[in-house]
Amino acid sequence: MWPQKENTMRQIAIYGKGGIGKSTTTQNTVAGLAYLGKKVMIVGCDPKADSTRLILHAKAQNTVMDLVRELGTVEDLELEDVMKVGYGDTKCVESGGPEPGVGCAGRGVITAINFLEENGAYTDDLDFVFYDVLGDVVCGGFAMPIREGKAEEIYIVCSGEMMAMYAANNIAKGILKYATSGKVRLAGLICNARKTDKEFELVSALAAKLGTQMIHFVPRDNQVQRAEMRRMTVIEYSPEHPQAQEYRNLAEKILNNKMLVIPTPLEMEELEDLLMEFGIMEAEDESVVGVAEAAA
Amino acid sequence: MSHPIKKIEGITKESTEELIAKTLEVYPEKAKKKRAPHLGANDQASGCAAVKSNKKTVPGVMSARGCAYAGAKGVVWGPIRDMVHVSHGPVGCGWYSWGTRRNLMTGKLGVDQFAMQFTSDFQEKDIVYGGDKKLKQLLIEAKELFPLAKGISVLSECPVGLIGDDINQTSRQAAKDLDLPIIPCNCEGFRGVSQSLGHHISNDTIRDYIIGTREFSEPETPYDISLIGDYNIGGDVWSAKALLEEIGLNVKSVWTGDGELEKIAATHTVKLNLIHCYRSMNYMCKVMEEKFGIPWLEFNFFGPTKIRESLRAIGERFDQNIQDKVEQAIAKYDPIMQAIVDEYRPRLEGKKVMLLVGGLRPRHTIGAYEDLGMECVGSGYEFAHNDDYERTSPEMPDATVVYDDPSEYEFEKFAHALKPDLIGSGIKEKYVFQKMGIPFRQMHSWDYSGPYHGYQGFSVFARDIDMAVNSPTWKLVESPF
Amino acid sequence: MSAEAAVKYVTETTEAEKERVAAWINTEEYKELNFKREALVIAPPHTCQPLGAELVAHAFEGSLPFVHGSQGCASYYRSTLNRHFRDPAPAVSDSMTEDGAVFGGQNNLHEGLENAIAIYKPKMVSIFTSCMPEIIGDDLVAFLKNARNKGIIPEGMPVPFANTPSFNGSHIHGYDAMLNSILHTLTEGKKVEGRCTGKVNLIPGFDANTGNFREYKRLFAEFGVPLTILGDISDVFDSPCDGSYHTYPGGTKLDDAADSINGKATLSLGPYSGAKTFAWLKDNYSGKHAAIPMPLGIAKTDELIKKISELSGKPVPESIKNERGRAVDAMTDSHQYMHGKKFALYGDPDQLIGYVSFLLEMGAIPYHILCSKGSKKVEKEIQALLDASMYGAGCKIYMGKDLWHMRSLVMTDRVDAMIGDTHGKFACRDAGIPLFRFGFPIFDRVNKHRYPIIGYQGVINMVTEICNKFIDIKDETCEERFFEMMR
Repeated sequence: MWPQKENTMRQIAIYGKGGIGKSTTTQNTVAGLAYLGKKVMIVGCDPKADSTRLILHAKAQNTVMDLVRELGTVEDLELEDVMKVGYGDTKCVESGGPEPGVGCAGRGVITAINFLEENGAYTDDLDFVFYDVLGDVVCGGFAMPIREGKAEEIYIVCSGEMMAMYAANNIAKGILKYATSGKVRLAGLICNARKTDKEFELVSALAAKLGTQMIHFVPRDNQVQRAEMRRMTVIEYSPEHPQAQEYRNLAEKILNNKMLVIPTPLEMEELEDLLMEFGIMEAEDESVVGVAEAAA
Repeated sequence: MSHPIKKIEGITKESTEELIAKTLEVYPEKAKKKRAPHLGANDQASGCAAVKSNKKTVPGVMSARGCAYAGAKGVVWGPIRDMVHVSHGPVGCGWYSWGTRRNLMTGKLGVDQFAMQFTSDFQEKDIVYGGDKKLKQLLIEAKELFPLAKGISVLSECPVGLIGDDINQTSRQAAKDLDLPIIPCNCEGFRGVSQSLGHHISNDTIRDYIIGTREFSEPETPYDISLIGDYNIGGDVWSAKALLEEIGLNVKSVWTGDGELEKIAATHTVKLNLIHCYRSMNYMCKVMEEKFGIPWLEFNFFGPTKIRESLRAIGERFDQNIQDKVEQAIAKYDPIMQAIVDEYRPRLEGKKVMLLVGGLRPRHTIGAYEDLGMECVGSGYEFAHNDDYERTSPEMPDATVVYDDPSEYEFEKFAHALKPDLIGSGIKEKYVFQKMGIPFRQMHSWDYSGPYHGYQGFSVFARDIDMAVNSPTWKLVESPF
Repeated sequence: MSAEAAVKYVTETTEAEKERVAAWINTEEYKELNFKREALVIAPPHTCQPLGAELVAHAFEGSLPFVHGSQGCASYYRSTLNRHFRDPAPAVSDSMTEDGAVFGGQNNLHEGLENAIAIYKPKMVSIFTSCMPEIIGDDLVAFLKNARNKGIIPEGMPVPFANTPSFNGSHIHGYDAMLNSILHTLTEGKKVEGRCTGKVNLIPGFDANTGNFREYKRLFAEFGVPLTILGDISDVFDSPCDGSYHTYPGGTKLDDAADSINGKATLSLGPYSGAKTFAWLKDNYSGKHAAIPMPLGIAKTDELIKKISELSGKPVPESIKNERGRAVDAMTDSHQYMHGKKFALYGDPDQLIGYVSFLLEMGAIPYHILCSKGSKKVEKEIQALLDASMYGAGCKIYMGKDLWHMRSLVMTDRVDAMIGDTHGKFACRDAGIPLFRFGFPIFDRVNKHRYPIIGYQGVINMVTEICNKFIDIKDETCEERFFEMMR
């Protein structure tokens, strides 16, 4: 309800286009922080509830909303029912919510975070709270994690793909709205590489335009998938593997990151210009718009 | 219209406009600009609306308005006595509208009438996961527990629309499974600008789901009519229906006071629709006219003058038989009414009344006050439209103030300046004015009295108005110290 | 109608069928079916959070309750308070409509604040939410910060706000959330180390009986202990009729509320309806803190009196000792009219616990105890009261049930009377028993809210009302030969 008491806890929200690898990146990064001795809580804010399984080695944990549904009311819910502890003492909570197309997933995020606050989940010993948030800020509920007193640092996971860049820019617009009235800031883009052309340069350039940084370029590596098949982070599965070091580097960078900015999102035209500059998009040719391949 | 122009001493167009301008002085510019067109001086001769209406309420001004759900549940659906009306969503809406309108019903509660509050009592989980499954289950339970219910209405509250539940599909399926009319009504409170849209949505729902689904088993007669827009507040329907029957008409159905679903469903076979509350039910009258060729007639059953005019107008739609009965009824009641007027008029002559009610009474009751020798110095509506204000113009004295969706501040200022002897409005206004020492009657609920409709109603009305204006308690308000 | 479709005629239910069903709904079989309900809620006596929020938002000097959400909600809350108190309840809403639902309610909130402040000149605007902004996730912290930045809220004007979703808890939780926010806002930065106002703060809990508030003040005055009621509705909803209307006729003074953080002690009498406020205040307020039950009946009032004495360090005055004696005198004089009588009761947890305690003291039996929005904790507390008295044997507690369940209970397992609010009158009529209206709301009797039910005086009032009603019934229903001068 009101701003949390001042302490050293850093609250971080991770946004990004659906399917970009947010949850994987978040969990590996959190594992990296845990490896460095930090106490972290992850709050999954996505009805899919896949934000904690690599930390917990579980298919899916009981979500706040699942239990609320089962018990009938929030009042009867206990914190230990929904908070599980996994790798590196990391606390894990999933907000949960409905299947696509029914109900109001956004309210689920609000319900869950209110519950956590009221039941003392934000303990003073935590160094970090990570919110892993559904693809885009579609309604007020998904902005809950960046309200005053919650996450003030936002990282956007993206790649060199066109739609991921569009999404990143849109999310920056959402942050701008909240930044003007509160303390929320953009802390950087995390490039989860897809091996597209000039990916490093492109994402760096977008970051610069947004007034931020590409805090880390996470190369693509199948070791991530191998770990995931065992429901583990790379850091836990193969701590010596170079990919584990990448996540540790990212964690380290986040730990030391001081570059928190009010983003300067791009107008659509600027963004298209940028994509064209890197040859991702061709200059607009009115004659080909809406013409099918076969017809062309 | 050849109405004589009524004048009130001391009230001119200029004085009224000055009053309005002074009242608005305190408003911020934007609000002043928005509110100004909703306040005006009546031009009685013109028959034109004096004000703009049916616009969004200005935030923060303290409006008396309700919402679409209130118009649907409270006004249209609630009075249908043989249906279970489910307030679908959180507990509050159904709780507030539970027994607070005074639409009386015959029958036994829980057996063949269902005036309790039925709710799906949404919890957080229902918001997040959607309430369709719960709705499906509760419909089964309602049918089991209330086997004599002729149908179930499902009235959406705000959250249902916001989370995108499909009550239409759930209701359709349940209606099939349970072999019972289950009527979904998408009347979320955030729709529209007032109760009024709730009336309209409900009318459309009746059109889509109910009308034409039944027929009367007895043979049709030329005198079959329906009584539309009477909600049986304090027993109004019982008074009005008896009078209509006395002049030889068969009241086949009532919309919706003490109403019955299947009779409403068979209304398409009547010969004439008589509509009292135009605002809330004109839509269906127009639909029945277009679709089934049923003519409709507005009438006014407040006070002997208007009743007499209305009875004759109704008679004109029928044959000599009915017209003779109309005259007989008038002849029978005129002396009774005169006796009432003779008793109360000397105590009420020249007293001033101000009105603020819903969508009908601010114009329809003026004649009844005038029968008692009183004059209306200001009138307005919570949720009327332009056609209501057009109908109001000839009824109100010239140059008197007309207010649309007034704020409490505006109403209070007008009363302060006009010093009425009586204010007729709602519960939210009542105690404000009573503290000021101004006699008051609730004109939505008849202040827990009634009926006020018909000849029978006028005797109650006259007594109540006299009681309010002349209660000796008002003389005690001023302290001797 | 198409020709081939079989015409469905209007059907009439036969009288015999109506009689059959009328008898059936009074049976054990129907009760079982009724108690199997999982989804449908019928006639629940509790309502939604914002109503409680509005009640306490009225209870501070110059405070204008402000509903962020649909205007219809505001009209519903106001009407309810008007009907119960028969007094004005000025409150505004920012009239959010469909566009607000899509784009968020900031514009409505800002415009509403600007207008309300200009027109109604409040000292404080107390904002609470209805369903819509809760579902779309409006961020009130940000909206209000923006309003201050834009100069919409005048410098220094407190604007507390509470999130009061209607789909969670009941009116008592809304009361709690709003009160908590008001106190949090008003006391911010007001704590002075070493300062003590010497006053006791009292949190009465969700209580719509203005007589109770005046009674608290009288009791503290008897003690000579200075008192600040946090959320005082007595002059707000029981204002004099003197020819003038005042938008803000009373309420706790804002300065007193602000200074309450430096109080000598704080006493909560609504452990359930003021739970969160009390939990917050324990960490923030100076002095001693105690949460004790609402003082209904002798034992619970004794607890209050002892607590006042303990917190203030003052002995219990003779006048209060005598008052207790008079209340007990009233009980012993009339115990025969209540002893062994069975009651059905329902209400908010704090009241319900008090009724049970009081009835057991009188040798009456709190037979069906129903709470439509309770918790396991409430149930345990009531069960403990029942277990401690022989009159509690056989009494049952029904949590999360409604008044249609209650009807089944009183029709199949009969009692002599019911205690509740106006909504119980239908079941009472069917069961042929009287209803004692001690709860909220009371729409159908006058001046009940002016008669305290708390304290020793409240005991006398309750005993008088209950016993005389039983005597009336005897007089009205007994055979002529048993109709006699004395009772």
